[in-house]
Amino acid sequence: MNLWEYVVDRWDKLSLQAWLHTSEVVQATLLATLLGVGIGIAVYRSPAGSAIATALASAVLTIPSFALLGLLIPVLGLGVAPSMTVLVLYGLLPIVRNTIVGLSGVNPAIVDAARGIGMSRISVLTRIELALAWPAILAGMRVATQMLMGIAVVVAYAKGPGLGSEVFAGLTRAGSANATNQALAGTIGVVILALVLDGIYLLINRLTTPRGIRD
Amino acid sequence: MTTTLGFSTESSSRRAERVRLLAQPAIVLVLVAAVLIWAFSQDLDATDRETLNGPSLLTMLYEHMLITVLVSALVVVIAVPLGVLLTRPGWRRLAPIFIGFANIGQAAPALGVVVLFFLLTGAEGGLWVVVLPLAFYSLLPVLRNTMVGLQEVDPALIDAGRGIGMSSGAVLARIEMPLAVPLILAGLRTSLVLAVGTATFAAFVDAGGFGVLIDTGYKLNRPPLLITGAVLAVALALMVDWLGSVAEQYLGPKGLR
Repeated sequence: MNLWEYVVDRWDKLSLQAWLHTSEVVQATLLATLLGVGIGIAVYRSPAGSAIATALASAVLTIPSFALLGLLIPVLGLGVAPSMTVLVLYGLLPIVRNTIVGLSGVNPAIVDAARGIGMSRISVLTRIELALAWPAILAGMRVATQMLMGIAVVVAYAKGPGLGSEVFAGLTRAGSANATNQALAGTIGVVILALVLDGIYLLINRLTTPRGIRD
Repeated sequence: MTTTLGFSTESSSRRAERVRLLAQPAIVLVLVAAVLIWAFSQDLDATDRETLNGPSLLTMLYEHMLITVLVSALVVVIAVPLGVLLTRPGWRRLAPIFIGFANIGQAAPALGVVVLFFLLTGAEGGLWVVVLPLAFYSLLPVLRNTMVGLQEVDPALIDAGRGIGMSSGAVLARIEMPLAVPLILAGLRTSLVLAVGTATFAAFVDAGGFGVLIDTGYKLNRPPLLITGAVLAVALALMVDWLGSVAEQYLGPKGLR
């Protein structure tokens, strides 16, 4: 059976896993965005806070994903809980850093002007600062998603959902007929999904960047 | 995906670097000491002791480091000359092809690439089965930073070099490369971190490293092995990253620090 026949033959299973993989990564990115933007808002006015948050988040990125997963298995067991925790933690860095960079890059004169016409602190944040920082935040989300696509393969080790289970199945069945096809289908599937999601990000960027600050 | 993995010059990032430069070695020491004390004070049975003992930990450390060093050496030997070549006139138009190829290499899941290479080479396993795919996977940061570093050299400096009679080779060696070194080192640090992290996958293809402890601990349901392996892998990664940041700070040309 060549790869094409294999994919056609197992399409039901493969498409379900591809869907689970995508949904897992997208959900983790959204959660990481909520957390990351929250952290960014909390610290961006304090240089020390920004430095510590960036240092912590980039130290997390240094940790091998397989090791972090290993540490979480005794605590959280198998399945969705450790998988999502790993993915959200790795997604945080690019988003926290870009939120801080984006928010601190907002021209103070614009913020002053907004306060001057009577906008409250909250509406300055949501309608001026976050709007101007949005392209940077979105760029962080895009980097996070690309990274998580690969890490989501590793978390299949802890029985997480997604295409990683194809890769691990190929590994354990090394030598049998479809082992290579399985690993190929899993790996190529992840590359294709990553490219598709990247395209969607370009589209979202085009559609949601405020007109005044488009290139 | 890695544009932001490269190290930006934002002030908060620079301050974050300084925090890590001081805190990281201390954290590594505490982590290693704590996990070793904890692990050896556990009630270990004979099976545990077979994997979890001083000599075998040292062997795993050696294997893990060997993979990391070989991957990084391969990356430097391939990516730096390739980056130089792709910024020379005449070769420049090939650059998008190679960058595109390296981009796909990195979009591919590292674990998938390792497993595939393992299966395609006859499922034998061994050191090179993990080193070669990981070198391919970690190539992009150094390749891209070499090219960007060389492209960003002020053309006036190159003109000046040529004007005082330097050959194009001398301009490359004495002007362009020294100016590109800081960016190349930043790329190398990213590649080092990728290499030391993905070297944990060596366990799946019989090439050793701390991944073996994690895998054995998980499969035999022995948390002491699992946790020791994971913490040691984390500590080693933090240590390698720290060495990378020290290299970044002190190996660049003096005038550019």
